[in-house]
Amino acid sequence: NNNWLNAYYDPVAGIYTFPSCIALADLNSDGDNKLVIADLGSGLYKMTLKVFQGTSVVQENALLDLPTGIVSVYMDNMEPRTPGIVVASGSCLFVYKNMRPYYKYPLPLLPVNEAEKSLWNAVRNGDVVADALTAALSSLKDEIYASALTSQTLRFLQLESRDEAEAFIESHKNVGLKRETVVTCLATMKKSVAEEDAISCLVAGTEHKEIQIIDSEAFTQLKSYNLPSIPVFINVSGLYDVDFRLFVACRDGKIYALKKDSTEYRVCIELGSQVVGMERIHKHMVVATMDKAVSCYTTKGKKLWSLELPANIVCTGIMDQKAKGFKALMVGLDNNEIRIYKDKNLVDTLTLNDRPQAICYGRYGREDSTLVSVTSSGALNVHILKRTAEYSEQSGNQGQLNPQKTKLNIPKKTQLFVDQTVREREHGTEMFQSFQHDLQLIRLQAAKTYIHGLNSSITPISDDPDIPLKLNATVQGIGPVFQMMVTVENTASSTASDPKLVSDLKMMFKFSDKVYTATPRIFSLPPLVPGIPYRFPIRIECIATDQPAQDTVTAVVFTRSKPKPIVTANISMPVSEGVVVV
Amino acid sequence: MGIMNKLFGWLKGKKKEANVLCVGLDNSGKTTIINYLKPNDAQQVDIVPTVGFNVEKVTMTNLSFTVFDMSGQGRYRVLWSHYYKETQGVIFVVDSADKLRMAVAKDELDQLLKHQTIMNKRIPILFFANMDVQNSLSAVKCSQLLGLENIKEKPWHICASNAKTGEGLSDGMHWLSDQLQTVK
Repeated sequence: NNNWLNAYYDPVAGIYTFPSCIALADLNSDGDNKLVIADLGSGLYKMTLKVFQGTSVVQENALLDLPTGIVSVYMDNMEPRTPGIVVASGSCLFVYKNMRPYYKYPLPLLPVNEAEKSLWNAVRNGDVVADALTAALSSLKDEIYASALTSQTLRFLQLESRDEAEAFIESHKNVGLKRETVVTCLATMKKSVAEEDAISCLVAGTEHKEIQIIDSEAFTQLKSYNLPSIPVFINVSGLYDVDFRLFVACRDGKIYALKKDSTEYRVCIELGSQVVGMERIHKHMVVATMDKAVSCYTTKGKKLWSLELPANIVCTGIMDQKAKGFKALMVGLDNNEIRIYKDKNLVDTLTLNDRPQAICYGRYGREDSTLVSVTSSGALNVHILKRTAEYSEQSGNQGQLNPQKTKLNIPKKTQLFVDQTVREREHGTEMFQSFQHDLQLIRLQAAKTYIHGLNSSITPISDDPDIPLKLNATVQGIGPVFQMMVTVENTASSTASDPKLVSDLKMMFKFSDKVYTATPRIFSLPPLVPGIPYRFPIRIECIATDQPAQDTVTAVVFTRSKPKPIVTANISMPVSEGVVVV
Repeated sequence: MGIMNKLFGWLKGKKKEANVLCVGLDNSGKTTIINYLKPNDAQQVDIVPTVGFNVEKVTMTNLSFTVFDMSGQGRYRVLWSHYYKETQGVIFVVDSADKLRMAVAKDELDQLLKHQTIMNKRIPILFFANMDVQNSLSAVKCSQLLGLENIKEKPWHICASNAKTGEGLSDGMHWLSDQLQTVK
């Protein structure tokens, strides 16, 4: 790639992380930005918070639970301006300052279900034994959602043997019941000033369908919202003290908008698929979904455009070059590509050795335009944008054309066109009425013909449900002797028990005696088995010798018991050649 | 020849002059190096990031340099090419502790070498692999990463230096002044 310098590649970095767990921050306020990655370890243990400086890890802190998001946030006005790193992990927010543990903020506890509480109280008093407790708790779990129970209860219900259950009760019966929530996503919002290093507050989404805004100075809850589903991504705009708006993508595939003034939510966007990433570019929301699509919406929820990508989207990021005023969307794809889209134009593609799992663009070290990516194999890539790299609207020629820019080939306005337009404008009503009148007449005529056809059975398909027949004929030869192939088919759907044979049928031909003779003119049809076309060859000879003859032959199928023919086919004969006299 | 030169210079009462361009990424130590080369009384204590460029006069035993100390910040690097025309030598400073940005330094060096005016001139390039901390790259490793072995047309020299203590600076400057005299 011509625009990116491959600054660093470590294929064995062994990092397992997600876009929400990567941050670039000036941790020591020395102008040398560090890379902070919350590593999920194996997914079960060895979770660490890693700090990279340049090409090496300078610090590692163990994490107790799986990290779900990290943000760097300025928490005070002290000089030098050092940001704190907030790690959302389990039910707590862990704050690190100067890369040392600084504060632990547990999210407020949720009320415990009364029935559950009384059950455990009974256990403490020795009134209930393990089996009874299991039965009572599992019926309680069926009654209300599992998420409304405490983790202690849920853990207890997972125990298999009775011994284990008893041991669990013994060790837990004196521990107070706590219902904790889990942070699912984390974002920041500037408090009162929009400056880069101004104090921010934290916005956290929880497993219990809540959004909480937390003051980062005093660690108190400022505001909370309830949502109908569990938040996955939060997008913040505005200032807490002035006015703000939150866009929250939830697990139900909808994006909700929240405002400062009200605690009510508004459904902003309903997506057809699950959200993979949500970014805000200028005034629009760009949403990447699992159906390989990137769509752009206004904040009112109106769809502006949508793109289909060639592979599944894995992660998204924002490329914001503040010096150049360039803001674009970065999408990590399943086919190892990172694509950069300015609006809906593809401006650049970067191909990695593996599937990018997490991407982050920003200032790293002393370089403003750095792209850090972690692949699914755990490799760490650092790409630096070249100083000479230019991205403009025009450079996206590989992308789709803007529909507004395609010119339609509209012909020039002629005098005739103008006259017609004027006529149509003046006599619009009359023209419409006469058109409707004619249309009705056509319909009437068609209906009349159809009724006549039905009444006289001149259609080649029978309308009698008992004798469903289909008749067609083809004429072969050039004359004066023709071969007519007549095909009769019984179209009834048969079953083994009821074959629905049609028998006792006869076929007859009707024509002008002066023009044709036919052999045989009348014959009996064999019993017709449904689904099998029966073909009968008929010899027809043209006997009119004086002029080139052309007439119609009518084939009629009838039965003795009915006066009306069952099916009729009109076969227009081709022009016959004269008899060659040798 | 050398004696004649010296004699000539002495007779003229004036040293030979040369314009030298000092470039490199930001925070690599260009201004600190130039500062160290200045006479003791003219040296500054605090070095701040250069904005635009500074012009400094540095006198060696037999040469007087006019050094254009360019700013290394990304937005000022476009200025470098404006001074290629007048320059008779280039000092390229690399922070050998900044492994991550070695690729950026190489990119800037390639652009410099590919520039029309530099490409056609046979001017000496002096590299300082500047370091002030432990575990930085050696001069050999730096020259590998920068791809210096590919420079065939121009005389070049790399020396490890420490701008704060002045280690290696005089070696490099002696090489540069020798080169400038032979080129002329």
